[in-house]
Amino acid sequence: MVKRKILIVDDEENFCDILRLNLESTGKYEVCVENDANNALFAVLHHRPDLVLLDVIMAGKEGPDIAIEIKRDPRLKETPIVFLTATVTQQEVEAEGGRIGGQAFVAKPSSLDVLLDSIERNLVAA
Amino acid sequence: MKYKQSLKVLVVEDNLIDRRILESMLLESSDSTSLLKSSDSLAGALQLMSQYEFDIVILDLNLPDSHGEETLLKLNKQYPSVSVVINTGAYEDEVGLETLSFGAQDFLVKGKYNAYILNKALHYAVERKRVEAELVNAYRRLKDAQAQLVQSEKMKVVGGLASGVAHEVKNPLATLLYGVTYLSQKLSERDANVDSVMENMKQAIEKANDIVTDLLNFASLASVEKKKENLDEVIKGALSLVRHEFSRHHISVVKKIEKSLPPVMVDKNRIEQVLINLILNAVHAMPDGGDVTIRAYNRTLSEDLEDMPQLRRDEFKPGQEIVILTVEDGGCGIPEDKIDRIFDPFFTTRRGEGGVGLGLSVSKNIMDIHEGCIFVENKRDGGVRATLIFKVSTEKGGVPNGQEENLNRR
Repeated sequence: MVKRKILIVDDEENFCDILRLNLESTGKYEVCVENDANNALFAVLHHRPDLVLLDVIMAGKEGPDIAIEIKRDPRLKETPIVFLTATVTQQEVEAEGGRIGGQAFVAKPSSLDVLLDSIERNLVAA
Repeated sequence: MKYKQSLKVLVVEDNLIDRRILESMLLESSDSTSLLKSSDSLAGALQLMSQYEFDIVILDLNLPDSHGEETLLKLNKQYPSVSVVINTGAYEDEVGLETLSFGAQDFLVKGKYNAYILNKALHYAVERKRVEAELVNAYRRLKDAQAQLVQSEKMKVVGGLASGVAHEVKNPLATLLYGVTYLSQKLSERDANVDSVMENMKQAIEKANDIVTDLLNFASLASVEKKKENLDEVIKGALSLVRHEFSRHHISVVKKIEKSLPPVMVDKNRIEQVLINLILNAVHAMPDGGDVTIRAYNRTLSEDLEDMPQLRRDEFKPGQEIVILTVEDGGCGIPEDKIDRIFDPFFTTRRGEGGVGLGLSVSKNIMDIHEGCIFVENKRDGGVRATLIFKVSTEKGGVPNGQEENLNRR
């Protein structure tokens, strides 16, 4: 089985390390991490991931601005983005059926199963 | 002299001659008195006052069944809105003056007044009482407004603090949760103890997240998007979000929703949040399981609103069409000494069991924003009934999409 490539953009290094281990241990994903929000677009271009997990509130640049940059780039615009953020609650996400304003969201914290489910759904949709 | 109002007067005087003098003075100008009754005792006076509505009482303080200022205090306590003029004996000016501090509007000294002075004194006394009542009312309104202001300032501060803290706490919680998840997969030595430690840690993280989420909900009442909604749909939405709690706690849900409920103007997510709070309260009230009953029906408020004493009369008018939604449990009810405090922020009966005490407080704020009403009472046959009242939207037409209204309160 070909591993799908996931890029985590989040300025909390501890969180990224642990999430990477979790995702890799499923055996299904190859994971890369970018902690510098200002470097996010470059990282997407460089790694060409199958999906981006994007934090919202980061030092330097906010997630939605990075998402706009990705969507504007013709080479990257098909890349699915899942916002992984503490700015929403899982209750809100569930009430909206997993998408808020047309964007896929997973709340921090929510169980690994919820995150994996969202990743798979958005990978399939791509 | 012509008075614009003729008075209903009660004379309380045990001295027959004094009483006759008063009565004849009052009857001298027939247009100033529309009702005149007399009594020679306090008990008799109170009896008459329960039968008639008097504007003013002319009161002798020393009666066979009551003496001194006690007479005035007893009368005032039962009928605080009735004006009182004291009829004192000669050379008792000081006594008369003193009665003013006990709530009398004026005093008359026997033998030192005539019909003209009496009538004038009575009309002045009634007018003074009316102005006093207005003042008391204005003062109360001012106090209410001040309390609301203080409350809303408090909410702003708590709100700002809460949303900041919530976000900062959720991030490390996410790290912890994925860390524990990873460790429970990777630990080579598995036994019951390790499993239970891992599970306890996960639950602790979830609990911390619940508390922070409650705080966040409490803080984020600034934007409400009201649309025409069918409450039946809102109830379904709320139930689907808490369904997992029912099987876990052996709860069955009994739904009694009237068909063709009129639509109401609500923010669906917010009202779902209120319902979830009420339903989870009901679930937690029955640790051994039981029925949670949800009813919804509509009706028109009666003329006197007497059947709904909880509704504020300045907000709900007779003839207003309302939808009533109730959530009932079969638990042990709320202790009577606590029931007045259940809407206070951070008040909970489940401290130590995960309750942070914001659920009902948030719910009340949400219902206030919707110009609705929430109240919670113990049922006679045990358990608690929580009631939500919504005004029926008077806008014509079906359920429109995209009709949004942003309210910036708090």
